[in-house]
Amino acid sequence: MPRTGHFILHSNVMPPITAGPYELRTDQSGLPFTVETEVTHIRVAAPRYTMPTEQILSSFPPANAEGAFGDRLPQIVLKRRTLPWERNPSGSTATSPTPWLALVVVAEGEAELSTATPVAECFTEGTLAKIADPTDKDVEQSVYLAVTETVVKKIFPTQEDLPLLTHVREVDVNDTELANGDDDGWLAVVLANRLPVFDKAAGKSVRYMACLVNLEGQLAALPPPTPPSPSFEYALAQDWSVLATVSTSGSPDHLVMGGVSMAGVALPSNAPRRGPAAPALKQAASTTKIGTDLDGGATMPQQSVGKQWVSGSAATAGVTAAAKDPDAKRKVRDTMAQGFRYPIELYAAEKVLRFPVLAHWSFTTSEGATFETLMQDIDIGLLGTVPERAPNAPAAEAGPEVVQTGHIGLDHRTRRGDASRAWYRGPCVPFPTPRDSNAKDEPLPLAHAADQLRRVIPDGREDLSLAAAFEIGRLLALSQLSVVSALLRFRGEQFGAGRVREILAELVPFALPELKGERVDMGRFVAMQTIAVLAKNTDRMIGPQRPVADPGRPLRVDGDLDVLVANGLGYDLAALRKRADAVGVLAALEQTQAPVALKPGQAPNEKLVVPALRAALGAELQRTLGVAAPPTRVVIGPNVRGVARAARKPQPDALDALIDRAPPDDETEDLP
Amino acid sequence: MKTRINAEVAIQAAMSAAVNYADIVTDQDPDDGTHVVPGELRRFLARLRLLHGVPFSYIVPDAELLPVESMRFFYIDRAWTDALVQGALSVGTISSADRSQLEAVYPHIRDEVDEAERSIRRPREEARLVAGSGTITGFVMRSRIVSGWPNLHVRAYSRDVIADDELTTAAESHPDRMKVLRMERLAPAVLFVLFDGVPAVVHIEEPRQGIQFGARLDPDDPPNNRRAKVHVRDCKTGDSVPPVNDMTPANSVDVPFRAGAPGVIDLTTLRKRLAAAAPNNDNTTLEPNEYALQMLRFPYRQVFGDPDNQQGQKFYALDSFKATVALSSWKNTVTAKLAKVIK
Repeated sequence: MPRTGHFILHSNVMPPITAGPYELRTDQSGLPFTVETEVTHIRVAAPRYTMPTEQILSSFPPANAEGAFGDRLPQIVLKRRTLPWERNPSGSTATSPTPWLALVVVAEGEAELSTATPVAECFTEGTLAKIADPTDKDVEQSVYLAVTETVVKKIFPTQEDLPLLTHVREVDVNDTELANGDDDGWLAVVLANRLPVFDKAAGKSVRYMACLVNLEGQLAALPPPTPPSPSFEYALAQDWSVLATVSTSGSPDHLVMGGVSMAGVALPSNAPRRGPAAPALKQAASTTKIGTDLDGGATMPQQSVGKQWVSGSAATAGVTAAAKDPDAKRKVRDTMAQGFRYPIELYAAEKVLRFPVLAHWSFTTSEGATFETLMQDIDIGLLGTVPERAPNAPAAEAGPEVVQTGHIGLDHRTRRGDASRAWYRGPCVPFPTPRDSNAKDEPLPLAHAADQLRRVIPDGREDLSLAAAFEIGRLLALSQLSVVSALLRFRGEQFGAGRVREILAELVPFALPELKGERVDMGRFVAMQTIAVLAKNTDRMIGPQRPVADPGRPLRVDGDLDVLVANGLGYDLAALRKRADAVGVLAALEQTQAPVALKPGQAPNEKLVVPALRAALGAELQRTLGVAAPPTRVVIGPNVRGVARAARKPQPDALDALIDRAPPDDETEDLP
Repeated sequence: MKTRINAEVAIQAAMSAAVNYADIVTDQDPDDGTHVVPGELRRFLARLRLLHGVPFSYIVPDAELLPVESMRFFYIDRAWTDALVQGALSVGTISSADRSQLEAVYPHIRDEVDEAERSIRRPREEARLVAGSGTITGFVMRSRIVSGWPNLHVRAYSRDVIADDELTTAAESHPDRMKVLRMERLAPAVLFVLFDGVPAVVHIEEPRQGIQFGARLDPDDPPNNRRAKVHVRDCKTGDSVPPVNDMTPANSVDVPFRAGAPGVIDLTTLRKRLAAAAPNNDNTTLEPNEYALQMLRFPYRQVFGDPDNQQGQKFYALDSFKATVALSSWKNTVTAKLAKVIK
């Protein structure tokens, strides 16, 4: 592999076989039995009518470029190194060092580039029979270049030229400038044989189109060698641009049907071949141009470079509009081909040849100044250099007031309205300047307003350079809302933190964290700190703590225990006492059978049970109410037994104490 | 023993999160590291420093300073760009508290923007430049070259390490190659370039859209009799036959054209002529690759250098435009004078 920045040139790289269908026969011999021949069919594919875009690495001059390309041969670089030799232009299937591809450069008006056409019609009539495997096609439709024999004789390469125009270049894959993104570093290069020269006599830029054409079957049509001439003069090989002025009465139909008025149009050759014979329709000549009608777009007059940069140039607008279309790829190419669409075939008296075009692009050669001459003529100086004037030049032509320091005197209107002169110097100065003021003094302070940067220099005039810079910076920042909001957020987050800290330091009793270039979420800090302080001093700041559980109130029992128990459970008190005397109260209770209203399995006697249960429930309810709401006087029915009685006011306990201590806070709220 | 989180632990955790808030809010760019100034602001200010958006009439105040077909080199006045940044920062400073805080933080902003301005234009796979920059220089060029040859190559070297006619260039990371801080076409024909340092040599090269082939047209020929020549190369080495910059009968051949055809080269005849003229040609003719070698044209490179190395001329003696009085000393003077007046 060559070193970076170096490359190796090869004359050609031959593929072992050309493109086309092949039969692969496998025989085996030397065996005791016969083996049937194995036959497989393979097809070696290669582009024929359209070059796949991924095979095109680069082209020079760049498509749609305008420049002084007059001394460079246009070229196209293809990725597959064998591409130019994958077909044999003479029609045989053997490989040949003569490439089947040629790059032809036509000037505007010399040839016609077709619109998409079925591939069978892309060759000159009768050629298809002469090429190998005519049915092999990579696409259904392609474009062709229609050129008269005269033009072919003038600008197409001779058969001997063809091998010289193609070579293979081997470069280092990692060299971005040479390899340009190729995968293996081997590139096939096809050169044109024509310098795209500038029309020096007319001083006009010339638009050229480079077409990569397929020469299969048409080698015989190429020009024979002619005696060379030491010089040339710019002229179109054949100028068909007059066709642009042919009136078509506003319809492209006449091109097909005949009937176009040819009055006053002088064609390059004597008479139209199958052009309009008798004007069937006599219509007033309109200014509509054929190109317009056929293409549906406008013809593209050449503009100066400067004008083309101004937005809205016809060329760029056309391409832009075409690029928006879903069919953009074809349309962009079509727009680029404008000016190469004159219907030469309809008018030419001589034979018109067709060559399939695999790739095409157009470019414009402008004036003769080359990069080198322009570069060497450039005027070089430090900013602040002004062209020298004649010593006795009139005062009106005096140049700007520029001094050696780069300052320029400009008219200045002061705020009071006085017209005066002030000094200004931009950011670009002709000598290194110190960033801060002199080293002994401290740096100049930050300015907060442009007026702080206004200076008066010893000659009495103001130097407004820095003040202008300040103001421009301020306006540029203000012009972008995102910057203004970023500044305010920055200030809010960082400067705001400092400000909040100062205020808080006055208010809160605890220490705040130091701000040392780090940002602290002061609001959150204070909230947390407050909660922590609250947690430590609950008694003072929230209120006294309530105990986890209140002690229960003592049960009040009146009278003897045995009487209570017996009454409660419905025992016979006398029998219980009697037995208790013998065995003790607890044992007596254990031994005493509780009277049960119902025996197991016995249906309850509702007349007895329901009143009893209701009475018991009522009594218990009354008792509970009596405890909960002591002031209520309840008349207890005579049939209720138990402890229920008018409740007394209980002793105050802990809860009562808490309630008593609570401040009477809600008093005012209920007042109307 | 079970780990328990009680209220005190929870509050402690929340508290430390609040105090270490800086870690959350401070601008931490994965590319860029930690900074006081938020990234978007830092980048805006850095672009401002490189004069992005500054009206052209403020850069070149008079058309006469940049005539047609001219090129002007310059140094960037850092005081001017600092004033630009100060102007941008002054937006939204409402109270004097804002201003005093801005004053406190301005040194940080200045240092961080110094660093950021060197990474605004960073070529892919190149290391980020750290630390603040020193002198910034550059040039502005107004020429048809800029409009006619898009994608010019501009390279600057701090030492003249590349021979003027050498084909290769130093890599972007080469220590002697100056970093380009900004390269922009301000207008169709105006190119503005800023370098990170003071270059000794500047190369401007024709765009390399592949290697090109061609002949040299004589610009002085009349339009009806145009001629071209090809410089002959040595078949063995590929070098041009000296003298490199001159076409003599010994080192060039006339290009034959096809009669009556504009600009079409008679390749077969040219091949014969080249085969006869090229030195060290072993064959009687030229193979296609040898022919291509003869027709090679390399991109043109213009070298701008200072042969006498007189750069850095200072005009301090003349310069009465420098601001030299610091605000504090000026304040002292004023206060002293005021005190006298009041007495």
